[in-house]
Amino acid sequence: MNEESTAQEQPMLEAAALTKRYEDGVLAVDNVSFTVMPGQIFAMLGGNGAGKTTTINLFLNFLEPTTGETRINGVVTHREPLKAKQHIAFVSENVMLYPNFTAIQNLDFFARLGGRTEYSKTDYRDVLLRVGLAEDVHHKRLKGFSKGMRQKCGIAIAMLKNAPAILLDEPTAGLDPQAGYDFIKLLGALRDEGKAILMSTHDIFRAREIADIIAIMNRGRLIMQRNAAELAGEDLEQLYLQYMAGSNSSPENNQPGAGPCSKQ
Amino acid sequence: MLKTIIEKEIRDIIGSTKFAVTFGVCAVLILLSFFAGANNYQVSRARYEAAKTENLRQFAGLTDWFSVRQHRIFLPPQPLGTLVTGISNDIGRTTEITGRGELTPDDSRFNEDPLFAVFRFLDLDFLFGVVLSLLAILFGFDAISGEKERGTLRLVLANAVPRGTYVLGRLCGSFIALAAPLVATVVLGCLLLPVFGIALTGGEWLRLGLVLLAGLLYFGVFLTVAVFVSAVTHRSSSSFLVLLVVWILAVMIVPRAAVLLAGRAVEVPAVDELDAQKAAFGTQLWREHREKLSSFKPTQNDDMQGLMDEFNRFMNDLADERDNKMQEFAGRLNEDRQNRQQVQRTLAFSLARISPAAQLSLAVSSLAGTSLELKEHYLQEATAYQAKYAQFMKEKTGINTGGGMMVVQVRDEGDEEPEPIDLGELPVFEFRPVGFARSLGAAIVDLGLLALGNLVFFAAAFVAFGRYDVR
Repeated sequence: MNEESTAQEQPMLEAAALTKRYEDGVLAVDNVSFTVMPGQIFAMLGGNGAGKTTTINLFLNFLEPTTGETRINGVVTHREPLKAKQHIAFVSENVMLYPNFTAIQNLDFFARLGGRTEYSKTDYRDVLLRVGLAEDVHHKRLKGFSKGMRQKCGIAIAMLKNAPAILLDEPTAGLDPQAGYDFIKLLGALRDEGKAILMSTHDIFRAREIADIIAIMNRGRLIMQRNAAELAGEDLEQLYLQYMAGSNSSPENNQPGAGPCSKQ
Repeated sequence: MLKTIIEKEIRDIIGSTKFAVTFGVCAVLILLSFFAGANNYQVSRARYEAAKTENLRQFAGLTDWFSVRQHRIFLPPQPLGTLVTGISNDIGRTTEITGRGELTPDDSRFNEDPLFAVFRFLDLDFLFGVVLSLLAILFGFDAISGEKERGTLRLVLANAVPRGTYVLGRLCGSFIALAAPLVATVVLGCLLLPVFGIALTGGEWLRLGLVLLAGLLYFGVFLTVAVFVSAVTHRSSSSFLVLLVVWILAVMIVPRAAVLLAGRAVEVPAVDELDAQKAAFGTQLWREHREKLSSFKPTQNDDMQGLMDEFNRFMNDLADERDNKMQEFAGRLNEDRQNRQQVQRTLAFSLARISPAAQLSLAVSSLAGTSLELKEHYLQEATAYQAKYAQFMKEKTGINTGGGMMVVQVRDEGDEEPEPIDLGELPVFEFRPVGFARSLGAAIVDLGLLALGNLVFFAAAFVAFGRYDVR
């Protein structure tokens, strides 16, 4: 993807002056704006309570924004949530599926729920193999699956939905290095298919490895947003620590709408 | 979408160990209740036939109808009464018929076998009332809160799934998965009834079908309540705790408390109190009549039989007069008591109907013909029979044998030995159960309330889930 084509395309995911204040007064998301284009991976870094998951929940319409809005493929999520959700797949931090169902049965249920009724068992087998789940466990109940195995099922479900946008909430948390590596490889492949991916993570190194845009959130604010080219040669870990400490928070980076940043 | 959710729910429930265990227990209990009910029916039937035979046996060899005393009629056991016992074991089944006066049935089943009164019978009312409601809670308490805890709810609702469709799908799926095997077990139990020696009529099958319908509606109420509670709590443990309290209140407390409250609110004079008043009035009547007795002056003193006939007529007239006065007096007392009882009952049932368990009990006992109406109906049938019996005895003896009288038979030595009376002539008491239309009329309110409960709690679950924080 190049800058010219990105400029012509409509953002797949968009947060516009997004603010969420909870009933108890806590400001979880404060005037956040960003866009994710098709074929981009947008990684949100930040500590616990930074507002990453709240932002994802706002995209999923699990929460209503106090002001501002989120849009998926141009559809405002809190106005037309069902329409918006047709364009999105979601993988949570700790994918939990139905333990009494086999991997195939879980895939079948969630694919149908996502409106995909055309898949055969072979399709389920293929996608499970693609995400790296050994065939001998495809027909086993999920109650015995490790977190990594469940995570693979979760990404398989997202792939089956074949939605143009994917939301990932801490997807690599708790995965062993091999599983993490496989997962990142898979994300790269999905991006190459043109998916717009918004990912919240604590994993600076994997974010740097895969993301086209990296943003840092702190106390509900988007305090930094840079593309991969801008971060080339930077020590991201150091940068992250500086931003979190508040020493490197420049106004231009802090502004909503600092993006969109094109993938280089 | 709805079909997908229903199918998933059915598969999820049927594939769980919890289902295998609870369904196994329920199936055994249901079949056991049919077996125990059938067995109980056979025992009751045998006792009933023996009592009838014994009643006639005591008259065997009698040569005149004057000597027929202590004639008794019996409430026959009803096949459906063994599956939904209601009050059938608590009310008196034996009634002595004298030809006049008040009837007081006695010898209830529990009076004979008090052991059964300790824990009562394992009937469909108990199984539906207690076991089905617990089953609904057990499978519904975590419908929403449990999904949230497990993390599956976010994944489900990340899809374009309307919340209303989801909650409806879960309810329908749970209902089908749990009710279908239970219905199959009840049907199996029904099919075993003829094997156990119980032949139901078409009307009784219809009643049994409606009893099952009431059970399903009741199950639906608790399932929707469980889903509603799980949609207003965020932890399945909280949901279970709330539902346990709801269950205790609905099944154990409210029906009993309603009766207690109604008892306190509307005082009904005790039967003993009334009996004492009636006895005092009766004694007064006897005293008056004893004085009248001394005024008896026969018109013919030379014909002994004529004298006795005249005396009997005199006594009969006195008895009729006394009976009329007593009936009038007792009628007033009874009417007052019945009116108070009716007010008390209406209040008790109205309060109790807050609880679905009370709605179920009232509906199924009405349908099975073992509600409170059974006692009144039996008494009405017995009273009607007494009138028939009095008429018969009058035809046979010339007088109503229910009054106090002296019978002297004068027989010359040359007279032929009188023939024994033909007991086949004695009117037979044939108990006709409460008609279907009347039973349905009595049950329809409670069936309607149960159906309404399903709708109300589904609407509540729908609204609550619409506002549910799925994070």
